[in-house]
Amino acid sequence: MNFEEYRDAVSQIKIDDYAALLNISRKWGKIKTDKSKNIKIGILGSTSIPLIASVTRALLTRYDLYAEIYEGDYNGILMDVFDSNSQLYKFEPGYVIILPDYHDIIENRPHVLATTEETKETVDRICENYKRIYNTIHANLPGCQIIAANFVEPYYGPMGNLEANYIFSQRMFFKQVNFKLTENRPPFVTIIDAEALAEYIGKRNWFDESAYFLNKSGFSLSYIGHYCDLIARQFEALVGKARKCLVLDLDNTLWGGTVGDQGSSGILLDPNDAEGEAYQAFQKYVLDLKNRGVMLAVCSKNNETAAKEPFEKNPYMILRLDDISAFAANWDNKADNIRLIANQLDIGVDSMVFFDDNPTERELIRSFVPEVKVVEVPDDPALYVRCLDQVFAFEWHQITKEDINRSQSYRDNQERNSLMEICVDYKEYLQKLDMHIECRKLDVDTIPRFSQLTNKSNQFNVRTNRYSEAEIAEMMEDSQYSLLTIALKDKFTNYGVIACVVLQIIDQICFIKNWVMSCRVLKKTVEDYTISKIIEKALKNGCTQVLGEYIPTKKNGMVEDLFERMGFQLTEEENGLKRYLLDRTQMESFSRIYYFKEG
Amino acid sequence: MDMINELQEIFRDIFDDEELVISDQTTADDIEDWDSLTHMQLIAEIEEKYSIRFTTAEIKKAANVGEFIDIIAGKLK
Repeated sequence: MNFEEYRDAVSQIKIDDYAALLNISRKWGKIKTDKSKNIKIGILGSTSIPLIASVTRALLTRYDLYAEIYEGDYNGILMDVFDSNSQLYKFEPGYVIILPDYHDIIENRPHVLATTEETKETVDRICENYKRIYNTIHANLPGCQIIAANFVEPYYGPMGNLEANYIFSQRMFFKQVNFKLTENRPPFVTIIDAEALAEYIGKRNWFDESAYFLNKSGFSLSYIGHYCDLIARQFEALVGKARKCLVLDLDNTLWGGTVGDQGSSGILLDPNDAEGEAYQAFQKYVLDLKNRGVMLAVCSKNNETAAKEPFEKNPYMILRLDDISAFAANWDNKADNIRLIANQLDIGVDSMVFFDDNPTERELIRSFVPEVKVVEVPDDPALYVRCLDQVFAFEWHQITKEDINRSQSYRDNQERNSLMEICVDYKEYLQKLDMHIECRKLDVDTIPRFSQLTNKSNQFNVRTNRYSEAEIAEMMEDSQYSLLTIALKDKFTNYGVIACVVLQIIDQICFIKNWVMSCRVLKKTVEDYTISKIIEKALKNGCTQVLGEYIPTKKNGMVEDLFERMGFQLTEEENGLKRYLLDRTQMESFSRIYYFKEG
Repeated sequence: MDMINELQEIFRDIFDDEELVISDQTTADDIEDWDSLTHMQLIAEIEEKYSIRFTTAEIKKAANVGEFIDIIAGKLK
């Protein structure tokens, strides 16, 4: 079987079908493919690594990731980390996964009646150890992202209910360690919440003591899929495949009944009714998603006026029209509407999640827009929150203030469009937007946004280099690199940082190693401004040439002729890859028109 | 179906071999991929199929198919 067949087979398997997952994992060796392995992962820990490695590797194929994995020895973590000649470092992984087990630290717990001070010291000492592990890996593998599981806290404790009454108890000890690991998390570490998973499964089922004593398995084999899925999902975000928009149906999804028949006051949403309260609870959860940066869109078969009325008039509505970034209520088919919404919001359909109570609509989207993640919605609205929460559709690598402002700015787009209608030409429109722009050298606080933009942008991305926060921090310290950020605001919206540039300057040659921009600010001459700043920087450094390169992907056709448009000469073209040059004379005479005030 | 045939189905599935034939005497030495990992999966699938739980001692002891059958039969009584 080839890689694609293997990937499709894995995608068909449900996470709780551990037997099927284990079977397909064992077939890994039978893949015949010319696809090169595109990701290197080291897995260390004190649990049975080989099994976790093989299932994780299978699940990663769902995101088109073909992983090569180094498996640390059982309990060999110190050897791999603190010996700079270790097998781990020779392997040079881009990601290191650390999977501890509660047995690792249980003997270090505070003694009965330990003072608050002593308890804190114990917790600090343990967390210091992990910090040392993280920092040592970071020092030996500077660009490496570390993915560390927290502790699954044991369900038992010698003091019974008193465990909850003293902070020196075993139970409180583990909670403090987990808390502290989060509190001290460096940017190059992602914590995976194994504790939350075990809680959701239920610890009584999660732990299999016999399997631990026999094979040092930290949990029952039945949950191998859940555990590895938790790990694999983090890579979906790390490699820039995070989803950002939730598309919602209305009737029997956000409220009970049909608004077209029952009117905006007749729909079921009254919290005095059990089902009404369930719909309201779902809306609250959806609003929380919006407030963490997920865009909301409505896609409903309805008359638009009738569909909007509850948002404006029904007192029990939690969501307001303001919360919705795109509203499609009409009688066209939903596949077309979804593409329309994607277009309107400048996002790919592969970053959308579809939630609709109607199985026919779900099937339609699955068949005609397979890139959309379609949620299998339960019949009972009481279970909507659980269902949407547990599909983990929005696993991001980080949350930045640009995310939170995003849905705001989509709404402002509407007002911006109205402005466009009253202007005589585009130039006047750009002037009336009153845009302020700022180009800055990357600062430490902006690293998460820089990483996010390079990972999430697929269209305006000239070389599609993805950078983790750790790699960015490393480049910041390297004098051959210049990292620039561009922030934009206009009279409607403060966009924050919307473009990032990585320049590599060696021997008077300035190479544009990466250049990404958010599609929300297209056609505003930001690219013209950006290139001017790049040239300014190159001149300041005494460069005689600026080199540009376009590496084609399925998605970045939009910047195929970007460098031509910016006045570069094409010097080389091979299989779609294009190289460009701007010489010193061209640099000095370079001038572009743009419509910003600086600062 | 005989228990040995039921077990054979599980073995065939796990070891991805539709022609695999097991007998009471079959041990890990006879099946190339029968290692500690597949052993765990065998235990889990047998437990699920017959709604039983093996004790740690039984998992340690069960070295050939016949012993598996004895343990399962004992629990089903």
